[in-house]
Amino acid sequence: MNAFLDSLSRPPSLTESSGVETPALECRHLSLSRRQGADFWAQAASWMTKVPILRDLSLELPQGAVMGLVGRNGAGKSSLMRCLLGLTPADQGESRLLGCDSRQLSDPVRERLGYVAQTPDLFGELSGQGHLSMMGRIYAHFDLNYALRLALRLDLPMGTRADKLSMGDQQKLSVVLALAHHPDLLILDEPVSSLDPLARRDFMRELFADADERHPPRSVLISSHLLSDLERVVSHVCFLHQGRVQLVDEWDALLEHLRLVVSAESLPEAGRVNERRCNGQVHTVLDLRHCPNPERHAQGQPLRMDDLFEELNA
Amino acid sequence: MHFSIHTQDSQPIYKQIVEQVRRWVASGSAQVGEELPSVRQLAQLHAINPMTVSKAYCLLEAEGLLERRRGMGMFVRAGSVLAAPCPADLLRPSLQSAAAHAAQLGWTRAQALELFDECLAAQGLAETAMVHAAVTADAATPRNPDIPTDSPLQP
Repeated sequence: MNAFLDSLSRPPSLTESSGVETPALECRHLSLSRRQGADFWAQAASWMTKVPILRDLSLELPQGAVMGLVGRNGAGKSSLMRCLLGLTPADQGESRLLGCDSRQLSDPVRERLGYVAQTPDLFGELSGQGHLSMMGRIYAHFDLNYALRLALRLDLPMGTRADKLSMGDQQKLSVVLALAHHPDLLILDEPVSSLDPLARRDFMRELFADADERHPPRSVLISSHLLSDLERVVSHVCFLHQGRVQLVDEWDALLEHLRLVVSAESLPEAGRVNERRCNGQVHTVLDLRHCPNPERHAQGQPLRMDDLFEELNA
Repeated sequence: MHFSIHTQDSQPIYKQIVEQVRRWVASGSAQVGEELPSVRQLAQLHAINPMTVSKAYCLLEAEGLLERRRGMGMFVRAGSVLAAPCPADLLRPSLQSAAAHAAQLGWTRAQALELFDECLAAQGLAETAMVHAAVTADAATPRNPDIPTDSPLQP
C-alpha cells in the first residue's frame, strides 16, 4: 500500500481525540492471527505457524455514520467485528466501542450495542416469542411492542421453533433481536444475505426508523456483499483487503472524485488509489482531489461500488 | 414533488435530489410555499439514509431554492425561480455527453439532431417552441452564473 492510502486509513491516535466527539467505534493497530488448528484454512497453510487475519488495522466510525464494510471472503470483516465486540481477543492493538474498551465492555455500554452475527446465533428449541421474552429479561430498554411490530413487518412467524425456521427467517429473528432495545451502535455481519429484496428494503428502512428522536444518532457498521443495497444507506465505506484497510472514505466523496482511467502506460503516482493490469492495459483508479491536473481525467469513468470493488480486488 | 432515486446512476443520491429540485424549480412548476416531503418521509420511502436527504436539502437551502421553517419542514422559497440555475445550464451537461457519444460514433450533426428530435417526440414535447415564463424571466434578469458544483458540505 502506498503512503497516500496509508494516510487515508490512519485515524489520529486514540489518546489524541480529547476535545472532539467520541467516535462510535475506533480501533488502532489491531492484529489477529489464527493459530494452526483443525480448520481447513489453517491446514492449507500448515507450513506457517500462524495465519494473519487482521494486519495492523486502524479504523474510526464517527457518531451517526453508517459504514459499509466491504471486502472479499476472508478479507477479515467478521474477524474485525468480533474483535471490536471483544468476542475474539486481538493479538495486538486496541479498540473502543462508544468510548469503552472492547475487552472490558461495561453493562451500560452492552445495553447500547446491537449485533447480528454472520450465522444466526439462536436457541434452537426456543420460538421467536420465546427469544423475545428472554431478551426482555436481559435488556433494560427492551421494547417488546416495537419488536413485535418489526417481526410483523418483516413477515416473521413468531411461534415456530428457531431451528425449524428457514435461513431467511432465522436472519430476520436475529435482526429483530438486535434492534429491539434501540441500540446506539449496530454491528451487522451480513445481516441480510438470506433475505429477499423486499425484506432487505424493509430492514434498511428500519435502521433509520427512529432517526428523528435519537440522541446521539445511531451509528452502524454493516458488512454485505449486496453492494447496491449498501449504496442506498451508507455514509461511509471501508474496503478491507487481506486484513488491511485498503480504502475508507465518505461514499458520496468516492463516487464524486474517483475515476477509472484505462491507459497503455502507468500513470504518475499522485492521486493514484489503485492500479492493475487487465488485458494488456493499465486500469488506474484516481482520486481527483489528489491529482495535480484533475481536469485531465475528469472524463474518466465514475465508479459505482461494485466497479470499485472489482478494481480493488481483481 | 416526486423524486426518483437510482443507485445504478453514477451520481450520488444527494446530488440526484438536488438536481431534481433544481429542474423542478427552474421549470417554473414549483409553487412558492409548496412543501417538500420531510427528510424522514423521503428517506423511508426510498430506503435511503436520512442524512443524505438532509445534505441535499441544506444545499438547496444555501442555493436559495428552498427555505426551512422551524418545526415545519422545507418549502419552496419566494424568488426561488430567479435563484435557480438557468434551464439551459441544467440540460447542457447531458447534451454535452450525448454530443461526445455521437462524435465517438462518427455521426453527423444532422443524424444526432434527428435522433434527439425523435427522443423529444417520444416524451410528448410539442414541436413549436413554447416560451415558458421561467425562460422569459431568465432572459430579463441575469441569474447567478456560477452554480456551485462542489458541495459546501464537502471538506
